[in-house]
Amino acid sequence: MAQQLAMVIDAAKCIDCKGCVVACKVANEVPEGQWRNWIKPTSDTPVPGKKSDTARFQPGACMHCDNPTCVEACPTGATYKDKETGEVVINEGLCIGCGNCIPACPYDARFRNEVKRKADKCNYCPERRAAGIPPACVDTCPTKARVFGDINDPESEAGRLFRKNKARLTRVAAKTDTKPNMYYLGNPGPGEWGREAIIPASMVVMKQSAPLVKGIVALSGLGVLAMLGRQLFVGSDSDHKEDSDA
Amino acid sequence: MSNSKQTMSRRDFFKASGLVAAGAVGGPALLGGLKKAQAAPMAAPAWDSKFSACDMCFNKCGLIARVEDGIIKKLDPNPKFLKSRGMLCARGNAGLDQVYDPDRLKHPLLRKGARGEGKWQRIPWDEAIDMAAQKMEEVRKKYTPCGHLFSAGTDLHSKFVGRFAEVYGSFNVTSHESLCLVSGNRAFLDTYGEVPFPDVLNSKYIIMAGANRFEALVTPDSIDLMTAIRENGCKLVTLDPRYTKTAALSDEWYPIRPGSDMAFMLALAHVIIGEKLYNPQWIEEKTYGLDQLTEHVKQYTPGFAAEQCGIPAEDITRMARELAAAAPAAMIYPGRRTSDYEDSTQIRRSFAIVNGLLGNWDRPGGLLAARQVGLKGVSYDAPWYDENQEDRIDAHKVPMMFEHEGSFLVTRDSVLAEDPYPIKGWFVYKTNPMGTAPNRKKTIEMMNKMDFVTVVDIAMSDTAWFADLVLPSQSYLERTDPCAGLQGSVACACVVKRDPIIKSLYESRSLFDIMKGVAGKMDLGEYFDFTIEEFRKKQTREIPEALEVMDRDGVYYNPSKVYGIYEGRIYKTLSKKVELYNQRYEQMGLDPMPVYTPPTKVPKNQFRLVLGRDAAVTQTSTINNKLLNELNPTNTLWLNIEAAGKLGIADGDLVEVSSSVGRQELKAEVTDRIRKDTVYMLSGYNTLSTMQTLSHGNGASINELLDDDYDTITGNASMHTTFVTVTRKVA
Repeated sequence: MAQQLAMVIDAAKCIDCKGCVVACKVANEVPEGQWRNWIKPTSDTPVPGKKSDTARFQPGACMHCDNPTCVEACPTGATYKDKETGEVVINEGLCIGCGNCIPACPYDARFRNEVKRKADKCNYCPERRAAGIPPACVDTCPTKARVFGDINDPESEAGRLFRKNKARLTRVAAKTDTKPNMYYLGNPGPGEWGREAIIPASMVVMKQSAPLVKGIVALSGLGVLAMLGRQLFVGSDSDHKEDSDA
Repeated sequence: MSNSKQTMSRRDFFKASGLVAAGAVGGPALLGGLKKAQAAPMAAPAWDSKFSACDMCFNKCGLIARVEDGIIKKLDPNPKFLKSRGMLCARGNAGLDQVYDPDRLKHPLLRKGARGEGKWQRIPWDEAIDMAAQKMEEVRKKYTPCGHLFSAGTDLHSKFVGRFAEVYGSFNVTSHESLCLVSGNRAFLDTYGEVPFPDVLNSKYIIMAGANRFEALVTPDSIDLMTAIRENGCKLVTLDPRYTKTAALSDEWYPIRPGSDMAFMLALAHVIIGEKLYNPQWIEEKTYGLDQLTEHVKQYTPGFAAEQCGIPAEDITRMARELAAAAPAAMIYPGRRTSDYEDSTQIRRSFAIVNGLLGNWDRPGGLLAARQVGLKGVSYDAPWYDENQEDRIDAHKVPMMFEHEGSFLVTRDSVLAEDPYPIKGWFVYKTNPMGTAPNRKKTIEMMNKMDFVTVVDIAMSDTAWFADLVLPSQSYLERTDPCAGLQGSVACACVVKRDPIIKSLYESRSLFDIMKGVAGKMDLGEYFDFTIEEFRKKQTREIPEALEVMDRDGVYYNPSKVYGIYEGRIYKTLSKKVELYNQRYEQMGLDPMPVYTPPTKVPKNQFRLVLGRDAAVTQTSTINNKLLNELNPTNTLWLNIEAAGKLGIADGDLVEVSSSVGRQELKAEVTDRIRKDTVYMLSGYNTLSTMQTLSHGNGASINELLDDDYDTITGNASMHTTFVTVTRKVA
């Protein structure tokens, strides 16, 4: 079976210390004001004397979905789902920074890196993995709430957790079901924040056409497309909304 | 739209379009063929990995620095470092920005304008060392050696400040601890004969009062607390006027009335004794004073405590029973910062006494004695000065001060009053009383009393801002440090050291080198006639393998005994037992058992100001850290929703907060996570130093607002005794 790299997270263990957030920023040189990962708190109402059933801090990042709407939205193929590892990868050499993928992610896991001017998001720290160490957020986590690995490998810690807890695994639902590969043990904390994926109308039209037509459109219209994409990105939020109707 | 940041490079564009075209023609689906155009397998970075220990707070977590071309790229946890359970928190990760902070001090600076005016002249090191030595000599001649004060923060080089002060002849050395934890230490020391380390990991029932362990990170406690409650079935009860993250993750939380913890604890004792829930054999063998305590706590019924602290009587009774049922694997968590009330030693004594009744000392899940680490002190014979004062300036003003920590607040008052003698010189290393001591105006006055102040630090702290001579010190990743022994309760007893990870930046020097230089100019050179490496060899003379092991693993563990250390050993107290009743206190005219005095009522239309800690904040040293500042860009005033409504204050409104000693402005954070009679803000903001770009003029300074009462037994600051009014600022 092919790999599926994923995170299996015990949100109940997260103390919201933001170690993962800073570790990620440093490891990946994420510019000021931008983030590849996050911790989302539940806004529960304090009740004296009772255990809060809802208090949870939810660590998150790109969920490397099985049904990645960001891949659909990418005009150049820079974003793709790696068949061998199950990761959603951005090939920076191909990314034109058009920004189509950003509203296409219902979890807002993507942003345009202000320095590189390319799409950016969690990539599970490939250079660290090549050095034999875990992704920065996983490595640094005080309570080891984040566990990373191949969930199809029963020998891995992530795979073991995944199997052992299959009955109670949860995911954060979005309005568009992207089948995320970020699993939580039991109550994940805030659960309903994922929005609808917004894919530019132009991409949807092309996807519906015959392959040959697509090829021609791709060849002839690429420049236009790229420019359009760029416009979409640098435009205001309302630009995205217009496209979301498609 | 035509922002240059948003343009795409031509090269990227052509590269992309060319590949896309090729893929589109050949592939079955639009652009689908591109999946072949994967990036080559990622190469591992060409970094060197070096061990060190973090210095972003006091915990000293083991780390691995990843260094490329002499530049630190990343700080990772050392997975072999058991005390921190192989973690590195947000601050640890942000250590990089402390080292590479553009606001770092770069050269020796000499004050040119008035104190605090910010006019500086860069001078060469030779001149700076000469000047420091000459001024210290002048002060010593004119005012005796005790006429010079030395203050040093929590740092592995601080012992060299102490050594210098001693050979110079001054008894006046203060640390940060009298603004933090000395009253708590006093209380446990005077109950058990030593300061315990809680075995959080193996505890089954923990009451956390006056502590916030999931936000104020202490290793291994913070991490072990999560393991205990999530995996070991431990019950956690938190008492806090704020709904902290610790409170949110607890089994039970009570918004206790600030200052009433002692009533709660004595009521627990009342129930445990009244219902005979203790282990009679243990109490008989190991403790002193049960009879007196039994009599004493009769008055402190759960009903009485309920009225005082706002926690229902039946819950207090139930908690006492649950605690006792889980004992000895149960505890009142001792806490760390105890600088809260004027009777904070007695408050923490009540914590210690309940632990005594639980019989948890030296046993799994309870309070543990310090383990053997194996490091040894390095002795020296300090010279004797006939022409000197009799004692410290803060001596005899509180009955049980720790001589080696002093009391900063008592010292400050004494300096201002020149009572019993004047102090005119001040040397400060890596501590920032101007930014951390309550009532900042008084610290400015204290500065103005000085003939000459030398500050050694990595940044222009507010204390440095008012100094005469400011010397740039190396950061923790540039230095050679002596060994430090660390206690990790059940996790470990271990030793760490630091070696330079990178070359020293700018003209910074280590504190040791500075002291050595100054001592050499003052005929005290013989006391610093060694290297740190030689010093470490002396420290590790009984564990000679330690240095090599640290080079290999980043840490040395002493596999010393964890439990049962006191089997066949006597307690270092007057009765040689755990003192429920403290005979020494009785002899000194202090309450031998804690007597509850209700906290002062919050005046009408006012609030009690409390402080607390955040996992990304270490006092004043992290606010100017770019990475950490992003997490807490400013501080806010936590204000209860109902209280805010009455005052017409909305979330985000600018408010003025004023106390008897100062006023500040900041934004209100209207929340249901705090009591109606209490307000809270983070410390470290609104610095005076303009060379702290991110904290200067940002938010409010809490120490400008706090009044300067202190614990009457130890002289520890009492920082929860200030009342403030809050008013909306009209724009």
